[in-house]
Amino acid sequence: MGVILEVKNLTKKFGGLTAVNDFSFEIKRGDFIGLIGPNGAGKTTVFNLISGFEKPSSGSIRFDGVNIAGLRPYKIVNKGIARTFQLVRSFKFLSLLDNVSVSCQSRRGREASKGVGIDAYASSILAAVGLVDKARIPPVILPHGDLRKLQIGKALGTNPELLLLDEPFSGLSHEEQQNLTDLILRLHEDGLTIFMTGHVLRELMNLVPRVIAMHQGKFIMDGPPQEVANNKIVLEAYLGKGSEEFA
Amino acid sequence: MLKKEFKERFTNFPNFFKSWIKTFTGGLTLFVVLSLIILPFLSQNQNFTHVFLRQFTLAMIFSIFAASWDLLTGISGQISFGHAIFFGIAGYLCAYLISYQNYPIWIAIIIGALGAVFFGLIIGVPMLRLKGPYLALGTLAISLVLLKLFLMGSLSDIFFGSEGISALPKLSSDPVVEYLILLILMIISFITIIQISKSKFGTILKSIRDDETGADASGINTTRFKVYAFMLSALFAGIAGSCYALFATSVNPTGNFGAVISFYAILMASLGGLTTIRGSALGAFFFIFLEYSLIIAGVEIYVNLIFALLLILVVRFSEHGILKPLLERIKDVWDVLLGR
Repeated sequence: MGVILEVKNLTKKFGGLTAVNDFSFEIKRGDFIGLIGPNGAGKTTVFNLISGFEKPSSGSIRFDGVNIAGLRPYKIVNKGIARTFQLVRSFKFLSLLDNVSVSCQSRRGREASKGVGIDAYASSILAAVGLVDKARIPPVILPHGDLRKLQIGKALGTNPELLLLDEPFSGLSHEEQQNLTDLILRLHEDGLTIFMTGHVLRELMNLVPRVIAMHQGKFIMDGPPQEVANNKIVLEAYLGKGSEEFA
Repeated sequence: MLKKEFKERFTNFPNFFKSWIKTFTGGLTLFVVLSLIILPFLSQNQNFTHVFLRQFTLAMIFSIFAASWDLLTGISGQISFGHAIFFGIAGYLCAYLISYQNYPIWIAIIIGALGAVFFGLIIGVPMLRLKGPYLALGTLAISLVLLKLFLMGSLSDIFFGSEGISALPKLSSDPVVEYLILLILMIISFITIIQISKSKFGTILKSIRDDETGADASGINTTRFKVYAFMLSALFAGIAGSCYALFATSVNPTGNFGAVISFYAILMASLGGLTTIRGSALGAFFFIFLEYSLIIAGVEIYVNLIFALLLILVVRFSEHGILKPLLERIKDVWDVLLGR
C-alpha cells in the first residue's frame, strides 16, 4: 500500500492570478479521498494539472514515483490516471458502446481487453456502470445521471489505477446521487484509488474517509470529514468570517 | 488489432453481402452500380461515348475526391479548405513522371497518389495546432501558396510555369475502357473509405471530431490520428488528382491547384451529406451534370454563381445534405409501389 500520487509545492499561475499556490499532498494506493473548497478554490485546476490539461508553473507531480507534470493528457492516461469532467462531455454522435470503446483503444485499454476483444470489454464496463441496456443509444437523449455514469465508464475503459472524479454529483437528483454513490463505492471496493472533488458537501462528507480542503489555491487541511467540517478556517472559507459560531 | 478486425470483416463479407442486398439502401446501391456498369454499352454513338460518357467518368473522379474530403472533414472533423493541394500535387507528379521520366501510366498514378500522402503528412503536422476555422484558413492558405508557386515567380520555371505540362496520355484511348477503369477505382475507393469509417479506427477519428479533449482524456494520441486522417484523405484525393491529369491530358496551375477545386470538394460532399461518404458520389454527379447542362445551354459562365447559390440553399434548408432525405423519399415511393 504505497504512495500512488505525490504532489509537492504545486503552483499554477494564470498571468497575475495564482490559481494553485504551493499545494502539497499524498495519496496512497486504495485511498478514497475528497477534495473540497468553495467555488474558485482551485479544485478543477488541481485536477487539470494532475491529468495533464494544464502545465504547472512550478512544483512536482509524481505518479508511482514517476514525474508526470507537464505530460500530455493521453500519456498520463496511459500511465494509469483517468478523470471525469465537471461539465459532462461525450462523443455526441457515437453510441454509448462506441463512447467507451474509444477509451478501450488506449494503450492500457487495449492491454486490458486483449483476451475478450474491445466491444466485449466495453460492454462489460457499460454493465458495470449500469448502462448496458442503452449500449446502442447516442448520449444526446440520455438524462444527466446517465451521462455522469457514462463519463465514469469512459474513464474505466482505460483501466486506470487512480480515478479523478470532478464534481460527479452536481446536477443530479437525490435518487441519481444515491445510484452514483453505490457505483463509486463498488469501484473503490474493487481496488480503485479514488480522488473526488465535491460541491454537494453532505453527500461527499458521508462518503469519504478522508478530506483535503483548499481555499484560494492554498492547502488548508487534510483529515477525517468531521474534523475538516469543524475547522475554523474551512468554515470561514465557505461561510465568511465570524462563522465559527455556526459550527 | 486492426488486422484482426479487417480479416474478420473480409471473411464475413459473403454473409454481410447477402443481408445487405436485401436492405433498401443496399439494393438501391447495387441497382445503381449495375446501371453504371451497363451504361457504356447502351450506345455506339460517338457523341455518346466520347462526350456524354466522359461526363460520367469525370463525375467518378470527383466522387473519389469529394469522398476523400468527407473522410477528413466529415468523419475526422479536420476542416480542409485546401484539398486542391493533394489533387494538384498528385496530378503534377503523375504528369511529370509520365512526360519527363517515361514512367508507365499506372506507376505514375500510384506514385502521384503517394506524393499526395507525403504532402498529407507534412501539411498535417504544422496544421495540427489549428482548430476549426483556423485549420480551414491554414489549409486554404497553403493551397494558394502552392498555386502561386506553380504559377509565377522564378520558381515557376522549375514547376513548368503557367502552361504546366500537356500532351499527357489518357487512361485509355477507348473512353469506355477509361470509364470502366474509373468505375472500378470509384467502387474500391468508396468501399475502402466506408469500411475505414465503420471500423474501430474510424470510431477514434469520429471521437476526435466530436470531442478532441475527451479523446485525449480517453488515452488517444490525437495528434497521431489526425495525421493519419490527413494522409488517408490525401491518398484518395491523390488518386483522383492523378486520374484527372490523365483525363484532361494536361496539368496547369489553375486547373489543378485552383481554389475552385477545393470548393468543388466542399460543395459536392456537403450537398450529398457530410459524414455519409456515399453522399459525395451523389453530390459529384449532381454538380458535374449540372455544369454539363449549363455548358450545353450556353450559360457556363454562371456555373460558379449557381454552385455557390446551391451551396447556400443546401446549408440553409438541408444542412445535413440531400442524400438521406432523398433516400427516404425514394423509400417511401418504393413502399407505396409495393403496397406497404
